[in-house]
Amino acid sequence: MKRLALVIVCVGLLFSAAACIMETENKVIQMSTTTSVNDSGLMAYLQPVFEKDSGYTLEITSAGTGAAIEKGRTGDADILLVHSKSQEEAFTGEGFEETRIPFMYNFFVIVGPADDPAGVADKATAAEAFQAILDSGSVFISRGDNSGTHSKEKAIWASINVDPTGQAWYESTGSGMGATLTVADEKQAYTISDKATFLAHENTLSLLLEETDDMKNTYSVIAISTKRFADSNAAGAQAFIDWLKTETARKMIAEFGVAEYGEPLFFNLD
Amino acid sequence: MIKQVLELLFGADPELRQIIGVTLRMSVLSTLISALIGIPWGVAMGANQFKGKAVLSRITNTLMGLPPVVAGLIVFLILSRSGPLGKLSLLYSVPAMVIAQVVLISPIIAGMTSNIVSLRAPLINETCAGIGIFGWKRLWLTIKECRIPFVTSVLAGFGRSIAEVGAVQMVGGNIQFKTRVMTTAIMMHTNMGRFELAVALGVVLLIISFIINSLVHRIQEQTLRDRTA
Amino acid sequence: MIVLRDVVQQFGGRIVLEIPALQFLPGRRYGLIGENGSGKTTLIRMLAGTGKPTSGTIEGLEGKEVGYLPQSPYAFSFSVLQNVELALNGHGDAKEIAQKALIAVGMESLMNARGDRLSGGEAQRMALARVLVRSYDVLLLDEPTSSTDVRSMDQIETTLKEYVQKTQCTLIFSTHSPAQALRLADEVLYLEKGRLVEQGPAATLFHSPQDERTKAFLKHWSLNS
Repeated sequence: MKRLALVIVCVGLLFSAAACIMETENKVIQMSTTTSVNDSGLMAYLQPVFEKDSGYTLEITSAGTGAAIEKGRTGDADILLVHSKSQEEAFTGEGFEETRIPFMYNFFVIVGPADDPAGVADKATAAEAFQAILDSGSVFISRGDNSGTHSKEKAIWASINVDPTGQAWYESTGSGMGATLTVADEKQAYTISDKATFLAHENTLSLLLEETDDMKNTYSVIAISTKRFADSNAAGAQAFIDWLKTETARKMIAEFGVAEYGEPLFFNLD
Repeated sequence: MIKQVLELLFGADPELRQIIGVTLRMSVLSTLISALIGIPWGVAMGANQFKGKAVLSRITNTLMGLPPVVAGLIVFLILSRSGPLGKLSLLYSVPAMVIAQVVLISPIIAGMTSNIVSLRAPLINETCAGIGIFGWKRLWLTIKECRIPFVTSVLAGFGRSIAEVGAVQMVGGNIQFKTRVMTTAIMMHTNMGRFELAVALGVVLLIISFIINSLVHRIQEQTLRDRTA
Repeated sequence: MIVLRDVVQQFGGRIVLEIPALQFLPGRRYGLIGENGSGKTTLIRMLAGTGKPTSGTIEGLEGKEVGYLPQSPYAFSFSVLQNVELALNGHGDAKEIAQKALIAVGMESLMNARGDRLSGGEAQRMALARVLVRSYDVLLLDEPTSSTDVRSMDQIETTLKEYVQKTQCTLIFSTHSPAQALRLADEVLYLEKGRLVEQGPAATLFHSPQDERTKAFLKHWSLNS
């Protein structure tokens, strides 16, 4: 008799625990984003306001672009916030009726040694700058990690028909933006970076080229559809996407970084 | 996934072989230098009673527990451009990784060697005193008696070396074709979501570790068997 | 002559040996008997120089050749013959001398065996041969036959007696067997709890011990062992 009572109590506890978990799960949105986005501080800035406005809780994880997108495939995310058009399109093309929704952009920048031996500073496009770096025999550091930054970098090399892989002056770190900037600083070499991370990073490199057309970096959100995972928090993901379009959100994005760096780090897409 | 892993392992993927090559080059060098430093250090501690032996012992034990990232940080700060040895431009190279690993592994080999020697030294010393053997001759005899256990400590050092990731990432920079080793490659590929490559490298690392551990075990067993014969 | 004066050995506050006065005359044979922990090994190690007394003096050993066989001698990983040659330090006829010593302790069949693969008794005999290859002024043996079987005991003791006869050394040995002390020693010293309780010519000590403690100790031992 006592044993039966114990079993009933345990089962009861288990059920209420499960109910609690299920209850909170609906209010939690798992967001997978990239290390660059996380390192820029934008999410830490937007998160509290979104959570207050919507009543949802945002759980944000960051990784390299490839791994961040992979979380969408393994069911570890309800929404993706990434910036690599080709990889995003590959993802949404997998037949689960998902769409990529671009909502903001910024520019990559080319940074390098202050004395700029390749003369990058007076070029008009990133392609020209890369060519100059190649011609001058200067060292170039690449992230080499299939991130959004790396994809952009590869596209620029492709546009001048150059494959730098394996060449002595081209060093691929396979690491995040911060680590790559550290290597570039150490070797006084050139690299391409997103502006936010570069400004926040302590180094002796100079910003040599920015805001060229071929260095535009577009950020998108992708909600994981319930067709891919039945218990994905599609409602929560949509709530975040809708919130991004509000005046509050757009204003916050436009103002981010102005106080600290004198200029915005991100621009809203109209 | 398993199929892709097997294809990578038995295929002719040049980058995989290159990574293994850099790893072995670094580890063999690290282990050799650490042994050259650690064995005499350990012998000096284990074979004699001297003033300050307890202090030296404590220092060695502390260094044995040095966290790899801390060792990496220290070497990084010394070798970076703004550090005291910056002029040598050693950061992000195989020599830098070797230096960091030597800092980590020499104390370990020293500690193990010291234990091995102090197990035998008292009896050897007592016996030698009785037949008039002292000084260098006695030391040389002691080292020769410990030569097989010394091999196990060196193998243990090698095992630590190829498995280390924190320090070599920091001072090596995981640069493709130059300083990318198995451990940093595994981390990188995992971060990028490229699990097949990570698993393939992991398997190779496991096999090497397994072989080393088996060797160490065999030698220790053999030694035990000899002693109780 | 070896003279001990006010010798005390302390380990961490505990006194393990206390000898106010003791003399060893040259050319005599001394046997130390007593329980485990009575101080026999401590005394021998002090004479050997591997254990320094906490206080007190030992005189008479300067400039003397002292040979010492510890309780647990180390067997090196080379051959038995090489183990014994070790003590001869590159002497010209080392091999022959070592072989003779090994034959004298009954180890002729094991000369090429590996030193560290011997049984306890074999290793002990090898160590004894190792110490008998040279002539010493003072020979210290700490329980030299503790692992020797009864069959080999005669041969070992005879070899020892011949050595002492030939070299005229001062022999100081410890043993668990009062009977062995009676056979080998001129004078026997009984130690208990770090103190020298009684000392005297072997036969006298055994047949008419003076001290109650000596009597109690000897009662346990049959003189046939």
